[in-house]
Amino acid sequence: MTVKIEVIAGGIPHTKIMVAGIIASLVCLYLSYLNVVTNSEMFSFFGGLAVVAALIWGSNTIKVLCSYGIGTGVPSAGMIAFGSGVIGMLLATKFGIAAPIVALVLATVIGLILGYLSNEVLNMKIPAMVQSLTELSVVGAFTLMGFAVLMTGGFTFETLIAGSVTFLGVSLPSYQVSFIGGCLIATAFMLGALAVQHPFNACLGPGWTQDRMLMLAAECGFLSMFVAAVMSFALITTGSALISLVVALVGWGYTYKHYIGLSKRDAASWLDSKPIPDVEGH
Amino acid sequence: MTAVAAKPAAGGAMNPTAMGVGFVILIILLAICWVVAPVDSRLMMLYALIGMVVGGVLIGFGTHFVPVGGAPAAMGQAPGIATGVAMLAAGAGLAGLFGGAWAAEQGTVVAVVTGAVGGGMMMAITCMMVNFIYVFGMGIPAASGKVKVDPITGDTQPEFKSQGTEGHGLPFVSFVGGVIGGLLAGGGGTLIYLMLLDLYTATLPTMMKATEAQIMPIAISAAGIFAVGMFLVNAVLTAYNITGTIEGPHDPKFKRWPRAIVASAVASALCGLAAILIVAM
Repeated sequence: MTVKIEVIAGGIPHTKIMVAGIIASLVCLYLSYLNVVTNSEMFSFFGGLAVVAALIWGSNTIKVLCSYGIGTGVPSAGMIAFGSGVIGMLLATKFGIAAPIVALVLATVIGLILGYLSNEVLNMKIPAMVQSLTELSVVGAFTLMGFAVLMTGGFTFETLIAGSVTFLGVSLPSYQVSFIGGCLIATAFMLGALAVQHPFNACLGPGWTQDRMLMLAAECGFLSMFVAAVMSFALITTGSALISLVVALVGWGYTYKHYIGLSKRDAASWLDSKPIPDVEGH
Repeated sequence: MTAVAAKPAAGGAMNPTAMGVGFVILIILLAICWVVAPVDSRLMMLYALIGMVVGGVLIGFGTHFVPVGGAPAAMGQAPGIATGVAMLAAGAGLAGLFGGAWAAEQGTVVAVVTGAVGGGMMMAITCMMVNFIYVFGMGIPAASGKVKVDPITGDTQPEFKSQGTEGHGLPFVSFVGGVIGGLLAGGGGTLIYLMLLDLYTATLPTMMKATEAQIMPIAISAAGIFAVGMFLVNAVLTAYNITGTIEGPHDPKFKRWPRAIVASAVASALCGLAAILIVAM
């Protein structure tokens, strides 16, 4: 199993990715506040970029956590990330412009307590558990907030519940045509939960390389952003939704091309991994 | 990083100190709910939070009954349903939750029972189809690797177990365990949803200055997504408790359930408090 450890040692250190992920997501979420400043919805696509940044960070966190062989499968990490993230995110939206920062704090608290429960009460005793669950909780909250911005143009509770329908040329307020009222949040939940767990689930093994996994994470992020951008046509102006759609398409095309390139690179070389190692199962 | 060497050490041991700390956190969270809630709706919010804790504990306890096989089961090398807890919870438990949500207007008891029946039925169908595929598709008999005799039917097991495996297929006791697990988890999920739905329909109209009919989409959707989130958190925590796989109620790992009760109670109280704070603040 020496091969696997050598591969893990390479690549960008996790701390660096974590800091970059937090800063990039926060900056992108706050850049979407230009919507309020300029009184338009053109900058909604920054929400999608925040999603991509958070997902890249999250997939590397899942790699750190699941290297320990927690026995529950990689998808479970994505599920608990968004299960805890959605709770912190929804409460944070009540805090107006401070919402992204509050989401960071709330998700950290929720993640810390869940990490303590898993490590001490459930006796998992995995060194990376507390930090990873905390990070995943924040990733879940940021991703959902990013999707909310992408679809509605804002991250405050009022924006997420208010929508309008045009009936006979008259615009009427309707709570049903909104991010929460129309339950678009459930779609965002699953889009994010699948996108955060898939990259490591698909790339794990002796031939794992970090750049390939992170490129796949970015590709999954842009693909999810594309779907969310299509849904945003219902809630924001057509022009703004088109901008998000084009950004998502360009980003997806770029990352997909590079991911295929990296896959070919890794497939052309081969790694002399030992036959089935004699390490006990679970 | 010595990731390979550091295998999970989640043994059967209890950690009394951590359980005590968990209990204290639970009391603190309940107290925070009591203090933060507006005076006139204090009792209602505490009642809702306690309901959510009970629901979460039901989910955590119920998941222990479900025969989760994981990847080894897919290769016919371990008994159980061939997938992870997160997938089973999303498939069977949420089926119960949605079933119960349909009956929400008929009152709490009817809705919770409907949710439980929905979850149990989904698990029964899943277990039956799994055994169909094992027996007729893969050609392997059902045999438990953890017990010599099926506790319910009394059938002997070792004769049917292939060498080098931990058992395979879905013995009768695992089937029954799966149905009980579906009943408990479906009922628990529905209870969480109902508690939040009642709370939101009572508080959102004044908060948003709208009629009850107008805020219904918000109340249903927010309660639903919170219930889904809490369901997944509880299911994954239980999955950590059993380190991913369990055969059913006869498995020695089943004895670890007290730890999961404490963890689920604290996690549900934490998530429930956040859900209540949305309308309390």
